[in-house]
Amino acid sequence: MNYIQKYLARGEVALGIIFLIVFVFFSFASEYFFTLRNIMNVSGQLSIILIASIGFAVLLIAGEVDISIGSLLAFVAIPLIQVMNFTESVTLGIIVCLLFGAMIGLVNGFLTVYLGISSLIVTLGMLFILRGAVYLYTGQRPISDELYSDFFFYIGNGKFMGVLPYAAIIAIIILVTFIYIMNNTSYGRKLYAIGGNAEVARLAGYNIKLIKLSAFVICSVLSSISAILLASRIGSANHVAGDLFEFQVVAAVVLGGVSLVGGIGTLTGAALGVLILAVISNGLGMLNVESQWQMVVNGIIIILAVGFDEIKRRKN
Amino acid sequence: MSKFFQKNETILFLILLLLLVFLSFYNPQFYSIQNINSILRSSSTVMIVAFGMTILLTSGEVDLSVGALLSFVTVIVMDVINISGSLFLGFFSVFIFCFLIGLINGLVRTVLNVNSLIGTLAMMLILQGSVYIYSMAAIYNTHLIPAFTFIGQGFVYNVPMPVIIMLVILPIFVFLLNYTRYGRYFTAIGSNPFSSNLSGINNNRYKLIGFIITSLLVGIAGIILASLMDTGQQGSAKGFELIVIAAVLLGGTSFKGGSGTILGTILGILILKVIDNGIILMSIPQEFQLVVPGVILILAVYFDTLRKEKNG
Repeated sequence: MNYIQKYLARGEVALGIIFLIVFVFFSFASEYFFTLRNIMNVSGQLSIILIASIGFAVLLIAGEVDISIGSLLAFVAIPLIQVMNFTESVTLGIIVCLLFGAMIGLVNGFLTVYLGISSLIVTLGMLFILRGAVYLYTGQRPISDELYSDFFFYIGNGKFMGVLPYAAIIAIIILVTFIYIMNNTSYGRKLYAIGGNAEVARLAGYNIKLIKLSAFVICSVLSSISAILLASRIGSANHVAGDLFEFQVVAAVVLGGVSLVGGIGTLTGAALGVLILAVISNGLGMLNVESQWQMVVNGIIIILAVGFDEIKRRKN
Repeated sequence: MSKFFQKNETILFLILLLLLVFLSFYNPQFYSIQNINSILRSSSTVMIVAFGMTILLTSGEVDLSVGALLSFVTVIVMDVINISGSLFLGFFSVFIFCFLIGLINGLVRTVLNVNSLIGTLAMMLILQGSVYIYSMAAIYNTHLIPAFTFIGQGFVYNVPMPVIIMLVILPIFVFLLNYTRYGRYFTAIGSNPFSSNLSGINNNRYKLIGFIITSLLVGIAGIILASLMDTGQQGSAKGFELIVIAAVLLGGTSFKGGSGTILGTILGILILKVIDNGIILMSIPQEFQLVVPGVILILAVYFDTLRKEKNG
């Protein structure tokens, strides 16, 4: 009995129950919600947010933050599309895109870790710099994909056996990999230790700077994968892509119980946070609720969820 | 003397001076009355909100909902005056609304204990959504009351009205933050909430006040903006929160709380706005208006970190 109580007190279980309630509610409320087609559509859409959220959660657990990911989403899509258009090679485009992402992560990480500037400031600056660079380069016009490669189209739009979106498969593989890394490798445990108490981690002999730097790179590279999926869906590098994306990710990850102070939270929780917000937004859409109401509902849910979590923590 | 040069405000002032000298050599038009007025006018709405944000950040909190609230205010003030024909009612409803939003932001922080970064982010979503529920279309000025247009577009002895409003509010905040017990409390709460609590300061009450003050200042800025645009627009202040925060941080206020001055904030805003203006005067592509503040923000905070290391 004690065991069950302890299990129920875990944040992920509570989130799972919230998810089920929301899911069942919309299944009854709308006849279109609980259809294979809709559920597969939702899973395709939420994969983009999920992948970036995994990276963001890893970085938050390590005690740092990156709010430039929305601008990054627009920025790295440009080398992707341009390289594809010039070289007619999708692989090359993806590689260059991921390299650009890794480089931005390195810059963010270097400025934060080695120069000692707060990551919030660094990435706030980067948010402006990347978005400005995108506007400059594109002249505020989308750059279309002129290769029309089937492969590139299928990454974001295709479905395995006509059912499961490839985007969702990619997201699940990344999620499972990183859950394994965070729980079962010394690297994962080090991330938790550093985020929880950097001084103790330093005394334990961990290379804090290098590990934090790697977390920045993970966050940026995973966001670049999201950028590739998004570019495939919209078929272009769009200058307004990823606008407010960082806020969606922050909301989902924090809703999932990952703490802003570092060292606390799980990727399972973060993924559930993404799922809950995506299902609510889709379900309300199915009920013909205007998207403006969806934003209001999302805002209220975030406040309530984080508020209850805080109250629970204070009781303990 | 060397202490004087190590002060953050001195360095910011020198940067501003360098910019002014450089720009006036580059383009004599820079010193035209029209140009200076346009810089000051566009600075004043940012400044008014930034006064509140300085207090909040000093006490260790932040408000990300100011941009969304600013847009909402332009819609409310235009709509209420259109319907009622009364300036008083329009302003009154704006301030009631802003007071409520500030109160909610503060209560979410102090009672629910939600991190203000998340709480006000959620409020941003709520406001951005509900402003469209309030009205889908932009609200145009159909009341045509001259006094309303004067608030944003008028001049008194060649000085734009928004600047005068800002100058009236400014001394109140300089006095409050530097010369009263209450102002020092905000700094104390931000630098060490535990010890400020032990010395008998009600941390939560002051944080609540900080949120309400910031929202009310957004109300004032919103009325000015509505008058300037002559419309109430739902998306008029997109990204405003980031510019305000960038300017306040550039001015030397720490994100971790405990330090911040109004003078620094003013210099931070002026530097950003003069650069904006310079970019236009030098016919550099306007997209640099996004890039340059980003670079400057990182550099400024980096130098600040260096200086603190040296002093400590």
